[in-house]
Amino acid sequence: MNGALAVSRYTLLELSRRRVLLVFFIIGALGIIALGGGLKILYQVASSNPNNFGNASNVDAATFDRFLELLFVSYLFQALSVFALLIAFGIGMTAIYHDLESGAAVSIFSKPVSRFAFTIGKLAAAVAGLIVIVGLLAVEARLIMFLFGGGLESALTGQLLAVVANAIVVMLIVLSLSTWMNNILAAIAAFIYYNVITGVISTIHMLADGGVIGNNVVRDVFDVLYWLVPHQLVSSAVRDLAQAEIQISGGVENNQALATIPSPSGAGDIAWWVFTVLVFAGLVYYAVRRRQV
Amino acid sequence: MATVVSVQNLRKRYRRRDPWAVDGVTFELEAGQAFGLLGPNGAGKTSVVKMIAGLLRPDSGTISLFGSDPGNPAARAELGLAPEDPDFPKFLRAPEVLDYFASLLGLDDEERKRRIPETLAFAGLESERRQVRQFSKGMKQRLGIAQAILGRPKLLILDEPTADLDPIGRRDVRALIERLKESGVAILLNSHLLSEVERVCDNVAILARGSVLKEGTMSEVVPEGSNLEEVFVQLIEANQPQRDHMPSFISERQ
Repeated sequence: MNGALAVSRYTLLELSRRRVLLVFFIIGALGIIALGGGLKILYQVASSNPNNFGNASNVDAATFDRFLELLFVSYLFQALSVFALLIAFGIGMTAIYHDLESGAAVSIFSKPVSRFAFTIGKLAAAVAGLIVIVGLLAVEARLIMFLFGGGLESALTGQLLAVVANAIVVMLIVLSLSTWMNNILAAIAAFIYYNVITGVISTIHMLADGGVIGNNVVRDVFDVLYWLVPHQLVSSAVRDLAQAEIQISGGVENNQALATIPSPSGAGDIAWWVFTVLVFAGLVYYAVRRRQV
Repeated sequence: MATVVSVQNLRKRYRRRDPWAVDGVTFELEAGQAFGLLGPNGAGKTSVVKMIAGLLRPDSGTISLFGSDPGNPAARAELGLAPEDPDFPKFLRAPEVLDYFASLLGLDDEERKRRIPETLAFAGLESERRQVRQFSKGMKQRLGIAQAILGRPKLLILDEPTADLDPIGRRDVRALIERLKESGVAILLNSHLLSEVERVCDNVAILARGSVLKEGTMSEVVPEGSNLEEVFVQLIEANQPQRDHMPSFISERQ
């Protein structure tokens, strides 16, 4: 396993020097600060005028602060998803592709390292790199949340896990495709497969399951197709957030809106995610093993 | 002497409709021997080298590298390959590249601390702090040779090792080959610099269109009073269609 460790260590060192990942990270970090700071400034401005709260308004300062926190967390979830995907594409497009295309693989594979150890090392580095970058953004987000009242920390953790898990699948798809083809084409193909095809299949499957589509043939076809594509993991955070928003606006908890939010992923979805990860990791290995350099 | 590499009736083509890139190549290389693999561009020299290093799979034929299949990582433990047009992970620096490869070779910390600075000094890269992506072709070629000798190989394959080197670099590589030969290392040299090959190689094979046209010891291939370049040119021209060497617009009088 020394070979895998060496590949992993130096791939991580390379990733840490990639400007595109640094740019994504800096934009994400600044965006989170701007979002949290901006909403807090909005609160300060609003609360500095006594006429805004109290008798003249049916919203008190604490409720407004809570509303801003929910808004911040809601935007934060979207931002983390977007940046995790960007970073997944950034790592997936380069981690193996550059070695194969530049000719570095000629020198590497002439050493006594197996293609299996090389693949394990690359995958470990790619996953670690993704977790570290998205994790740092999440730590920053958690610190910004101290500006607000708190209480949604566990939602952030759950959402972070789901976002990273989904980004790992995307990254593996890009990695496996970029071993066969040009990395830009691989990214486009992965985007179409994961975001368009999978998205359409999952949505139609959800509608068919919910009884919106009554046709049995369509339901059966999409039942099969659903188990041929990766399932995006969903945390309970989105539902928790919606519930908190309903509470703050004085609605009842069994609000109809909650029914349209996907329920958190269960054991079956997580098992399917594990299977998907193993399949795509296997494809990466197969492609690396077959590759002649 | 022990056989280091044995290549038997090797054949390779990249696509079904393509002609054979390597067609029935057979030779053996023993410890302490220097073997020159010569041929015009596209003759199949690099394909042979890559198959010996386990980077390409032959379509037929066998290769034995230290008695094993080159696809087996253990067989490559004592192989050093300096590829043609070498490249490396581009965001690493020269010492990091060597440390990376030393790890792949399984060298311990003590050996790494000893060998890496010495190898960098040999390659003239000891004070280089830039990342590989900022290297010139010549610097990459120096690093390519450095990583090939790092593991103290028993077989060193040099694929056009001096193509991008300056005269000093060429002299150093020639001295390296002679020193390694003396210490029993087998050398497989693939070069267009025929005077260099003639000077350092014991055996030579001349390839064209994937096939061996002539093979033997240097004295068998090069008759008395001739030189390798003459033999090479005659042999290649006799085996390929004649072509007009000059474009007509160059030959025309002004």
